[in-house]
Amino acid sequence: MKILVLLSFLFILSGCNLRVLDPKTQTASDQAFLIYLSFGIMMFVVLVVALLFIAFTVKYRETEKNRHDVPKHEEGNRTLEIIWTVLPIILLIGLAVPTVMITYDVSYIGASSDDNAVHVNVTGEQFRWTFEYENGKETHKKLVLPEDREVIFHLTSKDVIHSFWVPKLAGKIDVLPGEENRLKVTPEETGTYQGKCAEYCGTLHADMRFEAEVMEQEEFQAWLNEE
Amino acid sequence: MEFYLFGELIVLPTDVVAAWVSVILGTPIVLYWLTKKRHWPVIWDYATSTNHRKIGTLYIIFAILFFFRAGIDALFIRLQLVTPENQFWVFQGDKYNEIFTTHGTMMIFFVAMPLLIGLMNVAVPLQIGANDLAFPFLNAIGFYLFLTGGMIFFAAFFFNAAPNAGWTAYAPLSTYEFTGGPNNNYYIFGLQISGLGTIFAAINMIVTILRLRAPGLKLTRMPLFPWASLITSFLILVAFPVLAIALLLLQFDRLYGATFFVGELGHPVYWQHLFWIFGHPEVYILALPAFGIFSDIISAFSRKNVFGYTSMVIALALIGMLGFMVWAHHMFTVGLGPFANTFFAITTMMIAVPTGVKVFNWLFTMRRGVIRIKTPMLFALGFIPTFVMGGVTGVMLASAAADMQYHDTYFVVAHFHYVIIGSTVLGAFAGLYYWYPKMTGKMLDEKLGKWHFWLFLIGFHLTFFPQHLAGLNGMPRRVYDYTWEDGVFVYNFISTIGAFMMGASMLFVIWNVYKTHRPKKENVGADPWDGRTLEWYVPSPAPEHPFEKMPIIDRRDALWWAKQEGKPLPVAEHHRASPVSIRTVQPFVLSVALTIMSFGFIYGWLWMQIIGGAASLGFFVLRAFNDERTAVYRKEEQDNEQ
Repeated sequence: MKILVLLSFLFILSGCNLRVLDPKTQTASDQAFLIYLSFGIMMFVVLVVALLFIAFTVKYRETEKNRHDVPKHEEGNRTLEIIWTVLPIILLIGLAVPTVMITYDVSYIGASSDDNAVHVNVTGEQFRWTFEYENGKETHKKLVLPEDREVIFHLTSKDVIHSFWVPKLAGKIDVLPGEENRLKVTPEETGTYQGKCAEYCGTLHADMRFEAEVMEQEEFQAWLNEE
Repeated sequence: MEFYLFGELIVLPTDVVAAWVSVILGTPIVLYWLTKKRHWPVIWDYATSTNHRKIGTLYIIFAILFFFRAGIDALFIRLQLVTPENQFWVFQGDKYNEIFTTHGTMMIFFVAMPLLIGLMNVAVPLQIGANDLAFPFLNAIGFYLFLTGGMIFFAAFFFNAAPNAGWTAYAPLSTYEFTGGPNNNYYIFGLQISGLGTIFAAINMIVTILRLRAPGLKLTRMPLFPWASLITSFLILVAFPVLAIALLLLQFDRLYGATFFVGELGHPVYWQHLFWIFGHPEVYILALPAFGIFSDIISAFSRKNVFGYTSMVIALALIGMLGFMVWAHHMFTVGLGPFANTFFAITTMMIAVPTGVKVFNWLFTMRRGVIRIKTPMLFALGFIPTFVMGGVTGVMLASAAADMQYHDTYFVVAHFHYVIIGSTVLGAFAGLYYWYPKMTGKMLDEKLGKWHFWLFLIGFHLTFFPQHLAGLNGMPRRVYDYTWEDGVFVYNFISTIGAFMMGASMLFVIWNVYKTHRPKKENVGADPWDGRTLEWYVPSPAPEHPFEKMPIIDRRDALWWAKQEGKPLPVAEHHRASPVSIRTVQPFVLSVALTIMSFGFIYGWLWMQIIGGAASLGFFVLRAFNDERTAVYRKEEQDNEQ
């Protein structure tokens, strides 16, 4: 049991650099905030249950002394029932409100607010990605993005369903055949981030990876214009 | 391995060859052993019986066999993932896709479902004072349909054609264009046939519980396992036909070039809606009976009545109802828009409330009780924290925007293993240890049972806890490979160790059963656990027609109160017309006909479809003109008049 406790500590410490919790855009930070918030609320619930569980199993365990006791009949308790119905409802409202707000925030609705936005057409197919920029430049393994500038992805698939995911930039969005999904992010830090297909799409699903490289704006322009 | 057969080149992966070799070597040994030990009469007795206890036992036996098969798939998955860039045996690419598909599908449809339906079969009629299920013959049909579906699905691997589109079989990947060949046809027919059996079982259970309760046993006096079974059966009755429809549409897409899920008129997301309208209630179909089992066990082993009985029943019903309103939380990333996403996020969070009510009521059932820690209770105690951990990650997943990060990662894998193993599998084990005396007359060994429990539970947490972190670090599910740079090696390595502990724990189950039946021991008495409900009123193992005279029930846990007051339960004067158990080979005949038909469709052989289809239809026609119960009913009615 001690090893388990120790291990779980190690895990919590390693939590600091888990990709999903290391956001590089506002979208991903919002999502990370929701993760922390829900985790906090839920740990409170786990704690309460764990304390009651330990207290009751230790205290009311069968012993030599109480072996032949017959516990008193107990129908229930209205006050307690109300407490454990209402309290969770309050906790859940505390989670539901930010969930609704952030879900609207991270969803792409209507036109872009920024005329200067970079548009990238993303096409998924078994088993590679194609990133096409407005000037016709195409890449496969590497997605290059400018820092501090809005990027709008137009995603569609040539065959089965894929899912576009760069954990540090945003949550995933499915890439469907015959339909265009959109995703909007503004990268805030230069660096190279892992990207993956997150919807099982066939034989080489595991290999359908790419790298997202965020560069400074001038560098990005230069890259975009080079042959 | 490659070889020529009748001039055709046949390529077989070595795992399929190994499976064939072990079957060819193993079968004669098993047959010899069965013959030498003279087990054939027993097998014949069970195979042709319509008695609920025997059919329930068969459900459980085959579920456990499939459990070992799907468990070995899981071990192969874990071996392939033990280190980055690993090459274990043949399990890369399509082979890996096949094993995770068969692992998931078998565990859900051919392990979890039949384990629970088996326990319902054994326990529910006895708990409500019924002599058998309302339609014993239909019950046998239901079992044989499950077995047929399971065997068809099982066989796919031996013909090197295991389904490979995931247990969710998302279109368009599951359509003919992207996964040709017979593979996913096996999926369709395996599930279609066993699903029909499940629907029959649900109808049977509903009628039994509504019509055959002992005198005085009002619904409000019924133990919680029959309550959970009743609500589960209604869920099955609504959800499984949706699966049947989805599978039929997929079959038309695959076999006849229809375009329900592809092309201009169809849409791949239609499949996801249909699948999850079935699939989410399915989760509660798996969980609710387990809740019922735990309620009965926690009450019996705390020597106390269930705390807050009424709210327990209401919570069951609410969970069942809300279960139909949350399906799109599996589809937050599809792009349904923020309105749909937040709607389904909120309905999903609502489910946490009745579930929480149940957890607290279980805890308070134990409070002020006397907790006897026997193996069934140990599983119930393991269930509470495990299931709560799975439940809270469920609420985290319900938060739609956050789910876009969790979706289709190992975080989700960890979550659903926590809830399904936490509730269904632990529940089924608890039920198995609890009702084993009622099924066989023998008690399973306590010491080995405890070994099983601790190894399984520790192995379980070691396997699945790290997977939360692997998921948060960006590991998608259903990948056969990852790199060192991904930083998920440690999690996967620990996970593999845990999986082998769980595997080892199952060896204790085999040893336990062997040890229990080895010396010819005396049967235990009617009430080995000092139980509270009616099944402990009849001898162990439960005989056919256990309630010759119906006990009269005047309150909840009537047996317990009768024992406390030292008086026998009062019985009714007349016996009532009861379902009749018969010997029949008809379900087996239907099973063969359906197998022929299914293989005809799977491989597209028209002549075989016609033969199998005509035989199945003929069976139904013949059956419609036969009712072997008439004579017996007439006799019972005459007895009552005298």
